[in-house]
Amino acid sequence: MTTSSTTAASPAIAVDGIRFSYGDTPAVDDVSFSVAPGEILGFLGPNGAGKSTTIKMLTGQLSPESGSIEMLGMAMPEQREQIQERLGVCFEEKNLYLSMTGRENLAFFAKLFEVRDFDPEPMMERVGLATRLDDRVSEYSKGMRQRLMMARALVNQPDILLLDEPTDGLDPVSAIAIRTLIQQEADRGAAVLLTTHDMHEADTLSNQVAFINQGSILTIDSPENLKLEHGTRSVRIRTRRGDGVDEQVIPLDETGSGDRIRDAVSDEDLMTIHTEEATLEDIFVEYAGRGLA
Amino acid sequence: MSASNVGTIIRKDFTEFARNRFFVFITLMVLVAWVAVFWFLPSSVDETVRIGITQTDLGGVLPAADGAEVAGLSLTSFPTEGELQAAVESGDDGIVAGIAFPPDFLTSLAGGTTPTVTLFVPAGLPAEQLAMVEGLIGEAAFGLAGVAPPVDPITEAVVLGTDRVGAQTSLQDQMRPLLLIMVLMVETFALSALIAVEIQERTVVAVLATPVRVVDFLAAKSIFGVGLAFTEVALLALLIGAFAVNAPAIIVILLLGAILVTGFGMIAGSYGRDFIGTLMVAMLFMIPLMIPAFGALFPGSSPVWITILPTYGMVEAVIGVTIDGDSWSQIAPALLMLAAWGLAAFAAGALILKRRVATL
Repeated sequence: MTTSSTTAASPAIAVDGIRFSYGDTPAVDDVSFSVAPGEILGFLGPNGAGKSTTIKMLTGQLSPESGSIEMLGMAMPEQREQIQERLGVCFEEKNLYLSMTGRENLAFFAKLFEVRDFDPEPMMERVGLATRLDDRVSEYSKGMRQRLMMARALVNQPDILLLDEPTDGLDPVSAIAIRTLIQQEADRGAAVLLTTHDMHEADTLSNQVAFINQGSILTIDSPENLKLEHGTRSVRIRTRRGDGVDEQVIPLDETGSGDRIRDAVSDEDLMTIHTEEATLEDIFVEYAGRGLA
Repeated sequence: MSASNVGTIIRKDFTEFARNRFFVFITLMVLVAWVAVFWFLPSSVDETVRIGITQTDLGGVLPAADGAEVAGLSLTSFPTEGELQAAVESGDDGIVAGIAFPPDFLTSLAGGTTPTVTLFVPAGLPAEQLAMVEGLIGEAAFGLAGVAPPVDPITEAVVLGTDRVGAQTSLQDQMRPLLLIMVLMVETFALSALIAVEIQERTVVAVLATPVRVVDFLAAKSIFGVGLAFTEVALLALLIGAFAVNAPAIIVILLLGAILVTGFGMIAGSYGRDFIGTLMVAMLFMIPLMIPAFGALFPGSSPVWITILPTYGMVEAVIGVTIDGDSWSQIAPALLMLAAWGLAAFAAGALILKRRVATL
């Protein structure tokens, strides 16, 4: 493996004004963003927004028609081989060798990455597949295959992780396991680009989220900032009134809201109290004029 | 190009091939079945045609009967027309036809009148044997009357290998090129199916997201394809005795044939959408590639256009070496043609596969 040429301050991924079209249809148009080591950037958008095309340009499958991509201080696609040595990719499609076992799949890719003395067992244990190590992948469930895909993306301990819809269609248990892995990798120092249309996942995992629609990035910011800037925080309070229920929503940003909340909380007929804030989905709709479906 | 990556992909391909029960089954089945078929076929040719005659007053005009054999013709004399007819009907002693010359055959000819000769032929007698019998009667008439027989019309035909008239080849020898080519066809399909699966499942995308280059991938598929096809066809060649004469020449021919079919396998694999689709695309190549080998089964019956088919050079070279004992210089034109087609198919296959992979 080559040594890193990045400094602590420089981003692991720096994308500047990239553009790509399929025929006359622009799939990605003037997209720019950066991801620092240890950071997770959630790339949010509906199907066909340009997320996968962006990933393909980052993996070197496609070359941008204009703009530049710098990863770990190296230019893609000019220094593709050196970058790919330190890249881990989890594709949207489950492109595993079905006739081979989990162990063989991981060993094959470790060999291509020239990882010396690779032991698949700890990796399979990490993704909860230790007991299925020598089973053929054709016998794996969808969730197990996805976990194996994650394990494969990690065989070379990558400095950059590109994850394309890694929890799409998974059961809650598998999805949680994948999210835990992603967070662990970011904690290790990997820069993570996570494409998803699961707003909850993006909210809980991402340091930053980028909204992409029709090939263009609408905004990039942290989930907290987006919610602060674009949503209204409020408290919803329900109290019993005779045979009925009285419900009031108190916006937190209004003058006197603190007194109103204190009064409501001290009411002995108080039933429930909930804080509310805008979801990323609400904000995406505000930006894009459409939902994620 | 990374030799390590190429080797790793080849080992992976072999694992996938070995785990596919269908490929393993057809590979073994073809090998066993073809060898069995080959050794079941007759290894020699009995070209003698046995004809019975009742010979009256012909003297020395016809060869002496009673088992005499002249140029593939055996004559057996019968005392009466009835016994001759019975022998032809029963087919005993291999009598395929009978000629009953009338007692006044000579005197009628001498007197200028046309004698009637009775011909006994079984139903289904091949036309060429009937013509031979009729020719024999004509020869007898010519010998007695001194009148020249009419000239046969000239026919043009392409004969694979040397014209074997008077030196017929056994069915085993005729089948050898066909068996070799059919094995290559099976491996063409196996390779194309493996490539198609790699494209359909998009595993190649995952491979190319590692430090593996497209050229590594193509090299691995090429080496695996050629190795697979050559190994099996060489094994079959060994088992059907193709290496008995000029083994180095046969090795070169089979290697060029393996390169040729690998090229077509890569093309078929690039276009195949699923198992059946890949099979259909592969068949588009397999059928024309087998035509020259079928032509070798029927020497003289093949039209001129089959000489431009990619496997024609291979069939020519195999026949030249194994049947005619041709030297390197004699098979050189066929080898050059095979090599040219092999390189063209291989280059086209690699280019098409490369473009296909680039568009995933």
